This record gives sequence, structure tokens and C-alpha cells, in this order.
Amino acid sequence: MPMHRRQVLGLALAAPALLRVPPALAADRADVSRKVLLTWHKLVLELVRHTATYVPPVAARAFAYVGITAHEALSSGNPALRSLAGQLSDLSPLPARASGVHDEACVLHGALQAVVGELFANTGPTGLRAMQAMGRKMGETASTGIDGAVVARSVAHGEAIAERILAWAAADGGAVIENMGFPMNYTPGTRPQDWVPTNLIRLQQAPLLPGWSNCRPFALPYSDACDAPPHPDYDEAPGSAFHDAALEVYETSRNLTQDQKLIARFWSDDPMLTPTPAGHWISIVLQIADRDSLPAEAISATLAKLGVAQADAFISCWSTKFRYNLLRPVTYINRHIDPSWEPFLITPPFPEYTSGHSTQSGAAMTVLTSVLGEGFAFDDATHEDDGLPVRSFPSFAAAAEEAAMSRLYGGIHFRFGNERGLDQGRAVGAYAAALKTES
Amino acid sequence: MRTTIALLVLAGPALAEPSVPVFADETATAGLTTIYQGDWEYMVGGGVATFDCSGDGFPEVFLSGGAGPSGLYWNRSLQGGPLTFEKTDSIALDAVLGAYPLDIDSDGMMDLVVLRHGSNRLMRGLGECRFEDATETWGFDGGDAWSTAFAAIWEKGQDWPTIAIGNYVDRYEEAFPWGSCTDNWLHRPDGTRFAPPIALTPSFCALSMIFTDWNRSGQWALRVSNDREYYKGGQEQLWHLDPGQPPRLYTEAEGWKRLRIWGMGIATADVNLDGYPDYYLTSMADNKLQFLKDPASGKPDYADLAFRSGVTAHRPYTGGDLRPSTAWHPQFADVNNDGRLDIFVAKGNVAKMPDFAERDPNNLLLSAGDGTFVEAGDRAGIASMSVARGAQVVDLNLDGLLDLVVVNRWTPAEVWRQTGEPGGNWVQVRLEQAGPNRNAIGSVVEIRRGAAVERHEIAAGGGHVSGSVGWLHFGLGAAERAELRVIWPDGTAGDWHSLPAGTFHILGPDTGARPWTPG
Repeated sequence: MPMHRRQVLGLALAAPALLRVPPALAADRADVSRKVLLTWHKLVLELVRHTATYVPPVAARAFAYVGITAHEALSSGNPALRSLAGQLSDLSPLPARASGVHDEACVLHGALQAVVGELFANTGPTGLRAMQAMGRKMGETASTGIDGAVVARSVAHGEAIAERILAWAAADGGAVIENMGFPMNYTPGTRPQDWVPTNLIRLQQAPLLPGWSNCRPFALPYSDACDAPPHPDYDEAPGSAFHDAALEVYETSRNLTQDQKLIARFWSDDPMLTPTPAGHWISIVLQIADRDSLPAEAISATLAKLGVAQADAFISCWSTKFRYNLLRPVTYINRHIDPSWEPFLITPPFPEYTSGHSTQSGAAMTVLTSVLGEGFAFDDATHEDDGLPVRSFPSFAAAAEEAAMSRLYGGIHFRFGNERGLDQGRAVGAYAAALKTES
Repeated sequence: MRTTIALLVLAGPALAEPSVPVFADETATAGLTTIYQGDWEYMVGGGVATFDCSGDGFPEVFLSGGAGPSGLYWNRSLQGGPLTFEKTDSIALDAVLGAYPLDIDSDGMMDLVVLRHGSNRLMRGLGECRFEDATETWGFDGGDAWSTAFAAIWEKGQDWPTIAIGNYVDRYEEAFPWGSCTDNWLHRPDGTRFAPPIALTPSFCALSMIFTDWNRSGQWALRVSNDREYYKGGQEQLWHLDPGQPPRLYTEAEGWKRLRIWGMGIATADVNLDGYPDYYLTSMADNKLQFLKDPASGKPDYADLAFRSGVTAHRPYTGGDLRPSTAWHPQFADVNNDGRLDIFVAKGNVAKMPDFAERDPNNLLLSAGDGTFVEAGDRAGIASMSVARGAQVVDLNLDGLLDLVVVNRWTPAEVWRQTGEPGGNWVQVRLEQAGPNRNAIGSVVEIRRGAAVERHEIAAGGGHVSGSVGWLHFGLGAAERAELRVIWPDGTAGDWHSLPAGTFHILGPDTGARPWTPG
């Protein structure tokens, strides 16, 4: 029976504000906080899916800021929690609470409504309508039975936390996304191994976000702190390591089992059709939080660390991708093995090495293992609404390894891109895992 | 591979720059005053229907008004003259998103299927542009949805049409509307009324539908374009509709390939002259131009040649706004009468989505004759920056030059009259048959283009909540006569007709080609 970390967290993170109210009411208020936190995050998963600029690196960035906001909102009133200020790049101390009683659910609601509203201000009319509806509903949920002055004070504090986080976010280099992340002009490389566009979508004739590694990392000291080693030497000769790697993609693709197809689709996590790869791992945490009734303090700390790990993973990975600028399997295979071959999945519009999915999955599993433990079993129903069945995993590591392998099944990555991506992600994740969220 | 063949046809010798038609904006004087209004519930929709309800052969115009009243306008234009419309009192309904003409009871007086928030309505034509609500009389369940797509066909052996209605998001869902697509309905006949509808499950927020004989089997299928913004687990769809059988989806095992776009509109035509229908699908950013890869395979597997053909229309081409476009109503038509099909696309932001162009001009993509198309919307004078939705490219004053009416969100519908020198000859025909299905929906008009035959499916549906029944316009280029025939809905191939350029004819399966003159 795996040890659930929540047993530890639940003991350690009792909120002082709750100690001033009767135990039954305190338990009720803790449930309200959980509900506010989880419901806003569930909306964020949808907003990521339905906001055109939220391609995977951008989505990961947003998840990080939302998670950090929630953690800082709670930690500002709980001495058992430790702020991430001073631990994350350029994050200075957050606003202190004003004197007087605060309600944690109202603080959370104020913070989340403000940060989500600003991060997703560019969503469509349906997203704006949903945020307004959520603001009303969660506002009612959080404030029912609470003195009006406490509500106002608490919401104002949450908004102040969000305002500071947003100001911090605005200066990270990733706040403005134009043309859905694709440069208006792009000069392709001239080496035979250089990435070239892999589809006939006009917008995607340039790679996605080639400058993303210039974004300020959260916990990494610098963007290429965890760079991957070189990939096998590019070679078109049969029998070479590179050709063999391409041949493996080709042969695997031609003999895909139904389970392999299912795995490829389960982890595909396409932008604008899913909450993206980073959202997939956020979804896993939300499901565990529901299943295990984790307290809000534990959830927010976990989401903050996970968000940081995944955001940094994309920064790190994008640094590697555009350093090597390696072509995708479909390009190599069509040129040198089979001109009519098509991969099972749609090839993403940016260079191959290293695999973004693998890198961020490696980072995610590292953080989640550090928080919730080795051998932590869970079910993943992230794509149940999309008609994909629930998958069960014995550990976060197993899930990450499957996510990485899914890219080979999908025909969009070489094995070496997946394996080195996992390594890279584990290294990135270690920085996030080292963050202190408890005093 | 059939793709190779199709590409060869497309890659013919480069021709001269296509003749650019000239349009005059007559919005201010034409008399069309209805505005498509409303907030979130009307972010999609905004259709126009054109059809003759007065009996004079000139097409009337019905405009949806969204939260405001719809309007039916009597066409008072003279042949070749300025466009002039007179508003009637008919069909002033609220909550209208779009409409399609369809002579449901085949009495020779055009009826109108009105798509709404709430109950859809069947308006029975009484002549002289008067209508009565026959929804209940005809046993039609109007539902209570957000209806955004329509298609109709007469199934084999039926005296009454089968109508497909596409429905959108559950409009009562606020915080989590995504994944709440409501069921599309298939209204099959029960004698001379409609049976209770069949749910076309799964439904994925359809914004356009059209019946099409995609494989020339004689058995028309239902193609559905869906808005990926709202579905979960969805994709574009193609439904089998075998007589007497429940509808069923084409599957991956049958060759259907998963495609997920912000499907807004479908246009169909035989662009590459291979005898099979091609499809233009509108979306956000890139649009699609699909050609059947290999007809001999029997698989509905399509290649997207929009990029190679120059019709992605993914961002504004004029006006300086470089953000991606939002495309709605597409329509194939030979706008410059050069004998080659062109593409019109209505464009406009959903609302104020900052990542997409706010100044998003409509497209007029003229065929260059070598498989590529040339943008000419600005040069033709129709590059409006209004927030467009539905449209019809139609000859409103029966001078042989196609005109244009476009519904805009929040501002009046715009109408342009083509006024320049004709780029070529033309002919127009109307199909009429006795008995059921008077306008021969489900027939195919074949017209010879040199050694090739261009096939036009006569369908009710498609576009973006906009449709037309009436004169079918064919540009002829320099040809003095049109060689064409009709494959009637029962599969009977009519005689080839040789019709002189610049004429109107009414074609019937038993009556041949009867000349007709406006006025």
C-alpha cells in the first residue's frame, strides 16, 4: 500500500484562521476552500483548451502562475506554509495581510478570480462568459455565511496577491503571444538535418515559439541549465544509429497495436483540443485531490511546484530544440525510407530534439514523486469526456515513461528524443522539487 | 493514386490573370435594413436566404435578425438595374439565426426553414411572398435548441423531404459550456408530414451540413462540419443515409480520416473537374480545400490542397491587420464569368477576440485556371471590414453578373451589385419537375468544359446558415453556348442541351429546356 503524502500534509498544514472557529465549521470552511481551488483550476483547464494562444509552453506558464498565486494566497495567512518569494526568480515578498480576520476561501477566490481573469483576458466570448459565471458562483460559495467585512477584506487581499503575481509575470518575456505563437517571418536552416515544416497549414510554415527559451525561468538558474547531450550524429546511411532510430519509428508505426494507438492518443494532448500536456498533469493532480480529499494547502503547494516544473521544462526543452533544430521523423522517413509514410499523430510544428512531452512529463513525475511518494498509484480520467478510457498507473514514473513512449507510437519522435527528454525533465523537475512550501 | 490525377488537373498551364469583376456597394440605397443583433447567443449564425416568392423570377432576400426581428424583402430590381428591395411584413420572427428555402410540400410556392434559438419554424409559402407557420401542421418538431445548420434531401421513394438540423451548444450552460453540444436531428418523412426526429448521435456542434453524393454512388450522404471549440471527442463527420435505415457514421475502417477544425461552413463543387465533389471548409486561420484522394478506393479520404491552391485565406490580405482570420460562409461561384469556379468567403471576428483579426475582409478568390486562385476582394470592391457571417453570391437583378449580399453582426447587411464589364458569357437555368421535389434537390447539373465535364450537385444546405433556391448560374468564358444536362434525382440522365449564352432556361425531365425572360 503506497504511502499517501497527504497524510503528512494534512497534519502539518492546519490553517490558523480555522483554529479560531468551531471544529465543525472549520471543516466546512476547509471544504469550501478546496472547492474554490479545485473549481477554478478546472475552469483553467477549459480556458487553456479554448484560448487560441495557449499552446503548450504558454499553457505551462499559466498553470505555474495560477498555482503560485493560490499557494501565496494561502501561505500569507498560514505560518505553517512558506512563501516562494526569494525562491523563484525575481519574486519578491508578496503583500502582507491587513489586520483583521480573513477567510481563506474568500482569499483564494479573490486571488484566483483576479489572476485567471487577467491571464485569460484574451479568450473568446464563451470563456469570458464562463469566467463571469464562475466568479459569481464561487463568490457565492466562498462568502455564504461569512461576515461582509471579512469577505471584502479577504477578497481584497487575494486580489492584491494576484496583482503582484501578474506584475511579476508581465516581465518574464512570455506574456505577449502573437500570431498564435508562430513568427511572421522565418528563415529555415540549410543543413540536411534541419527542421522543416511538416504540414500544409499556412500558419505553421514557421516553428512555434522559437524564442521561448528567452523567457525567465521560475526555479532553473538559467534556461539551458539542464540541456540535453547531443543526439546521435545525423546520418542518412542505412545501418547508422540515426537511420536505425528512424527505422524504429517507421516499423513501430506500421505495426501499431490498438493499445499503442490508444496510448498515443491518450498522451497526444493537442493544443486547443485538450488542456495541453501540462494541463494533463494538472488534471492528474486535481483527480488525486478529489479522490484523496487533499486539503487546499496541500493541493495549492503541489500545483505550484508542478506548474513551476512544467513551465521550466518547456523553457529548457525549447532551448534544446532550437539549438539542435532537428528534423522530425516524418521528414527523414519520407526522404530516405518511404515517401508515402504518414505518422499516426499529427506532427507538432517545431523541431524534434528533445521531446517536449517527455521533458515536461519527466519534470512532472519528479515533482509529484517528491510530494506524494514513490509507487503512488492513480487512475487518470483526463480524457474521459473525449471518449478515451481511464488509464491506471502504478506510479508517476510509469505514467511519464508511457507519455514519452507515446510519442514514438505516434510517429512524431525518435526514441532518443524521448529518452533524453525524460532525463532533461527529471533534472529540471529536481529544481522545482527542491522548493520549500512548508515552514 | 487519385491525388496525383487531381493534382495534374490542377497543375494545368498557367493562364492569364483572371478578370477582376467590379462591384458597386449599394447597401445605402438597396433598402435592406435588417441588422443581425444580439450578444453571446448570436455569436454564430446570421444567415441570408434568397429565393423567389413573388413569382417574377427575381430572388427575394430573407435576412436573419438575431435578437432583433428577421426581415423578408421583395426584390423590386429591374433587370440589370440598381438593386432595390421593399420590406414586407412577412416572417418577422425573433431569435432567427438563419434560413434555407425549400419547397417542402412541392406546391410550387417556396417554403422557408427558419433556424432559431428555441423552436425552429417551417414557413409555408402562400404566394405573393405571404407565408403561414406550418410547423405543427406538418408535424415538425421545432425543438428548443440553438440551431445552426440545415440540409435537406428527398430520399429515394419519398414524397416529402428529409431535413437535417444541426444544433450548437447548450445555451443554458454558463460556467462549463464546453462539451455540451446538443443533438443534431434528422427529420424523416412520414407520408406528407414529418416523423418524430432521430438524434444524430454523436453530435459535435454543427455549423454547417450538406447532403452530397461524395462517391457518385447515387446514395447521398450527410457531411457535417463541426466547431471544435465546443465538442469533446468530436471531429468532422460523414453520415450514411441509406433508405429505411438508421443513419450511421462513416468510420476510420471505411477510410474516414479524423479532422478537427473550427468548422463554420461547407461549400461544394467539382473544382478540379474530376467528376467528384470537392469541399471548401471554413475555419479560423487556415481554411481547407479537400479533394478526394482516390475515388476508385471507395474511401472518403481527402487531401487538403488549400495551401497549394492559394486558398488558405488564413489572414487578412488588406487593411494591415495581420492576425489570423475567422471565416464563415463559403461559396463556389463563377463570379467573373470566365468559365472557372471562384470562391467567396465571408469573414469576421467572433466578437472581439484579440488574437484574431478585427479588420477581416471578405475574400474573393478567383481561379487562375492552373489550379491556383488569386485574391481579388479588394480590387473587386467587396473587401468589407464589417463582421460578416452568412452570405449569398447570387444574381439579384438577373443580368448574368453575380451580385453579393452579406449579413454582418451588429451592422446592416451589405449588398453589392456587379457593374463592370462581363468577363465572359453566362447562362442560367432553373430546375423544375412535376410532383414531389419540385426543384429537383439531389440532382446534378453537368456542363462541358472543353474535354472535361464539370458536375454541380444541386443541394439544399451548406454555407453558413445561408442558402438559395432558384437560378443556377454558369459562367461560359468565351463560349457562345453552354452544353449541359441534368442527372435528375431518380438517377435519370436528361438530354444534353445546347443553350445560347446570355439566356435563362427552365429545365424539366419531361419538358426539355424552356426559355424564360425576366420582366
